[in-house]
Amino acid sequence: MRDLDLALKHVPLRAPAPLFERPQPPKGVFTSQRGFMRALGLLAVLLVAVLPFMDASRYTMSIATSALIYVMLCMGLNVVVGYAGLLDLGYIAFFAVGAYVSGIFTTVLGWPMWAALIATIIACITAGIIIGAPTLRLRSDYLAIVTLGFGEIIRITANNLKITGGPSGIHGIPSWSFGPWSFDDGFSLLGIDFPERVVFYYFVALVVIVVGVIGAGRLAKGRLGRAWKAVRDDEDAAEAMGINTYIAKISAYIIGAVWAGMAGQLMATHLSAISPNSFQFLYSALILMAVVLGGMGSTPGVIIGALFVSLAPELLRDFAEWRYLIFGVLLVVVMLFRPSGLWPATAVLPWLRRSRPTPPAFTEATAVPASIMESVDGTPTTDAHEGDRA
Amino acid sequence: MMQLIWNGLIVGSFYALVALGYSMVYGIIKLLNFAHGDIYMLGAFVGFFTLSAFGISNETSIPLLLVVLLLSMVTTGLIGVGIERIAYRPLRRSPRLAVLITAIGVSFTLEYGVRQIFGPNPEAFPIRLESSGFDVLGMRVTASQIVLVVIAAVLMLVLAHIVERTRQGRAMRAIALDPTGAQLMGVNVDRVIAMVFFIGSALAGAAGVMAGAYYGSIDFLMGFIIGLKAFTAAVIGGIGNLYGAMLGGVLLGMLESFGSAWFGGEWRDVFAFGFLILFLTLKPTGLLGARVVERM
Amino acid sequence: MQFGSRRRKRLLHVAVAAGVLALTAGCSSGLAGGGSEATDDGPIKIGMLAPFSGSESAFGVYMQNGAQLAVNEINAAGGVLGRDLELLVEDDACDATTAVSGANKLVTDGIVASVGGYCSGATLPTLPIFDEAGIPMVIPAANSNELVDQGLPGVFLINGTGDQQAEAAVTYAKQIGATNVAVVDDATSYSADLAEAFTEQATAAGLEVVAHETITPGENDYSAVATTLASQQPALVYWTGYYQEGGLIARQSQDAGFQGVFLVADGSVDAKFAEIAGEGYIDNVVGTFTQTPDMIEGADQWIADYEELAGDPPGPYSTQAYDAVRVMAQAIEDAGDTEFDNVVAGLEGLKDFDTFAGPLTFTDTHTLSGGGFVIVAIDPATGAFVLEDDLQG
Repeated sequence: MRDLDLALKHVPLRAPAPLFERPQPPKGVFTSQRGFMRALGLLAVLLVAVLPFMDASRYTMSIATSALIYVMLCMGLNVVVGYAGLLDLGYIAFFAVGAYVSGIFTTVLGWPMWAALIATIIACITAGIIIGAPTLRLRSDYLAIVTLGFGEIIRITANNLKITGGPSGIHGIPSWSFGPWSFDDGFSLLGIDFPERVVFYYFVALVVIVVGVIGAGRLAKGRLGRAWKAVRDDEDAAEAMGINTYIAKISAYIIGAVWAGMAGQLMATHLSAISPNSFQFLYSALILMAVVLGGMGSTPGVIIGALFVSLAPELLRDFAEWRYLIFGVLLVVVMLFRPSGLWPATAVLPWLRRSRPTPPAFTEATAVPASIMESVDGTPTTDAHEGDRA
Repeated sequence: MMQLIWNGLIVGSFYALVALGYSMVYGIIKLLNFAHGDIYMLGAFVGFFTLSAFGISNETSIPLLLVVLLLSMVTTGLIGVGIERIAYRPLRRSPRLAVLITAIGVSFTLEYGVRQIFGPNPEAFPIRLESSGFDVLGMRVTASQIVLVVIAAVLMLVLAHIVERTRQGRAMRAIALDPTGAQLMGVNVDRVIAMVFFIGSALAGAAGVMAGAYYGSIDFLMGFIIGLKAFTAAVIGGIGNLYGAMLGGVLLGMLESFGSAWFGGEWRDVFAFGFLILFLTLKPTGLLGARVVERM
Repeated sequence: MQFGSRRRKRLLHVAVAAGVLALTAGCSSGLAGGGSEATDDGPIKIGMLAPFSGSESAFGVYMQNGAQLAVNEINAAGGVLGRDLELLVEDDACDATTAVSGANKLVTDGIVASVGGYCSGATLPTLPIFDEAGIPMVIPAANSNELVDQGLPGVFLINGTGDQQAEAAVTYAKQIGATNVAVVDDATSYSADLAEAFTEQATAAGLEVVAHETITPGENDYSAVATTLASQQPALVYWTGYYQEGGLIARQSQDAGFQGVFLVADGSVDAKFAEIAGEGYIDNVVGTFTQTPDMIEGADQWIADYEELAGDPPGPYSTQAYDAVRVMAQAIEDAGDTEFDNVVAGLEGLKDFDTFAGPLTFTDTHTLSGGGFVIVAIDPATGAFVLEDDLQG
């Protein structure tokens, strides 16, 4: 043992060389997970872009815009719950902060929307720190009730204060404008008129896709994202591995808060009026539901969940009185049959499941010292695919 | 002052009864049963339905109330067991959040199911307790409040007896400590969990009937707020701990009572939740809760 | 690898082609096609947004049935401009998001007039949508001053505003010789506005407002308010919320020892109030209300018709919704067509139109000229509110 210690002292620590050449990951649309996801994403973006040409009616544009904003919101919650594993039952509070701050800055102070956005983001970062800091010591269920409490505090405060317009909220929130040109004016291009609602829809779609989906997805794959997942899977182990769990958690809160704040800002612009009624606990539960229903930590899953939660009540509109009942039953049924969500984070496309690459046969060059082989007992099973799961 | 304490105690006993069910279920299968508040609502509606079916209205008799109470307790208990069997048991090995979402789904289903049957309007409960009041110790106390507190206390004593003195109670505690271990020692885990749901739901149902008789009006969303509050109470007391739930319920009732007296009714919940956050920051496991290492 | 990327490209091409196809096909509702405009034949569609889900869902049903009754009556009498009326109803859940998509749906469905609006918070965001689409609105229930403060030309309120109702309440308080009063609201827009107006006017009239309490609706225990009322003992307390909580507060405050008059606003004037408060707790209860069918002679028939249609007796805002449809129909009839400007002119030109709230003429701000508020009290035999004092003398 002492010899080993001595030996290690002088040998620089280095990762062991791979036992064999990793095969290149496949790249085709249908032959690899990543390729397929990219194609699917592209197709989705295309559909989003083409939608107004198919149906630009007010109703369609309105619910499509709301649905996109929900996607943004759910992507943010996904960072908190899906990646960092912090159960947040008051997430709608950040949405409210975003909506109210931009509403107050644009109506009371008369700022243009883009300037209010900066204020919104700063307010949301502050809110994220305020809510995040005291909760860092808490674990899941206590965390749940504290976030729930924060959500209620924000809503009730908005309901009671004068500056937030009391129970009737803020109205007359302007649309986005840059200098003299505002979204309200719309524009025409190639002989096609783009009215305000369509321009705004495109703007929202752009923000959501670029910032919401791509941004959150990239974050999750980076260093911070790996830290989040480590904290989620085992906080103590993560800390032991040198991850600053404090920073990881609070950054998850802040990112979640900013995402929700931007969604809130878009929603305030979209609706032109906001009231405390829209920030009840019910909506926190609905967003959480979207994330869990779709599959925590899974981008396509969360998008599906968000679309489901925002569009299902609309599609069930004709059953107005029945819709929450149907909704409830549907939820139970989906969870019973797909408990880890409709599109879990670990999902592998069904036709790819069996085609895992097999390690090449052992040759002299890649032979492993017998001692290791003995301890492992058998061929090393690599999981080259693990990293590619999107 | 005394009046505020007494008011807090009355509200607190409702919170405590509902919080007990929350805490028991959590203690044993680590599930936040969001539908629990709706069981309270169901209890009130079962009582309402039975009494209306017999054409009773504007009754004030306490024996009749007790009969209805028992009937509702049995019914809601069975409903609770049914919900566990259909919605929660198949998911026992699933991620905890999935079960949480199922619970929210069940909650929706119960609320809007009742709405479809009884309509969205509030209904007047057919039994009203005599509520002539008298002054004692500087506070105004009504007969119905005393009946209410007595019933709540009796129910809690019975529960304490079951959990601490009976074989079934021992099995419950064993499962709460270590489900696998308990199973290996020959405890029928499924049966005990069903029993926990029965007891918890029966208590909530009892609280629902009592609320109906005491306040007089019931509606399909009445369980929602009290569910939230009971959850808060359970956490203040230390979730999973039964005495904690009782204590938390009464404490929350007091907090709200004093909060609205000091800051005005519109800030009451802000005060209650603000206190909760501060309290949990300082004592993250609640009053009587034990620190447990847990994973999502 | 090569194969894969070519496949992807092909997929892309297909998708682009599909998009372009859709573009050029120019569906009727798409950007390239013409918008769907209201047609001149077929029924005249009028829309109504009201809450059918959530905590306020009880009121949506009352409003829908009231409006439907008016539509049926008008159609039976030959319709408007020789065309039938058709009522389209959407849920607003008392929530801005749901209300906005509901309003957009109604506009897309081709309504020419709106007769809905219950929660002010959910009605406000729908105003610009209807305004932009050129749809005049007669709002039956929501009555926040902010609705008309924006100065949109097509917004008309037929529910008395908070100011008018508060005036009636203050008049009554002075009439019974009260010197100190209290007010309790439920933190909703309507209720808080009314309470605010009452406090202002009562102070101006020389009454002392000893307490202004706010409660959280949807709960059961209001002992905090009850205790305050019992200890302050105002001669009159004005409850500005709805009957669910109103009945409970009336009961609990009397249990606590409050002995003054319990005055309730129109949201609480409902037979359910007496049921919830219970026997022995309704003697001191009076309400401010616009005239209801059972106070007007010959309205028994109306109630019978309503019950035949709905299966239940009418509730709060049934009459307002009924009147909203009739007002709108009359304005369209006067206008001669469904053009926005003409209908607005028609609405502005209405003179002493007969409604439940008395003869209706809109003011310059598009509210009612007189609130038409009277004082009602509970009839112990039936539990229904009956006329007590018309505040005329």
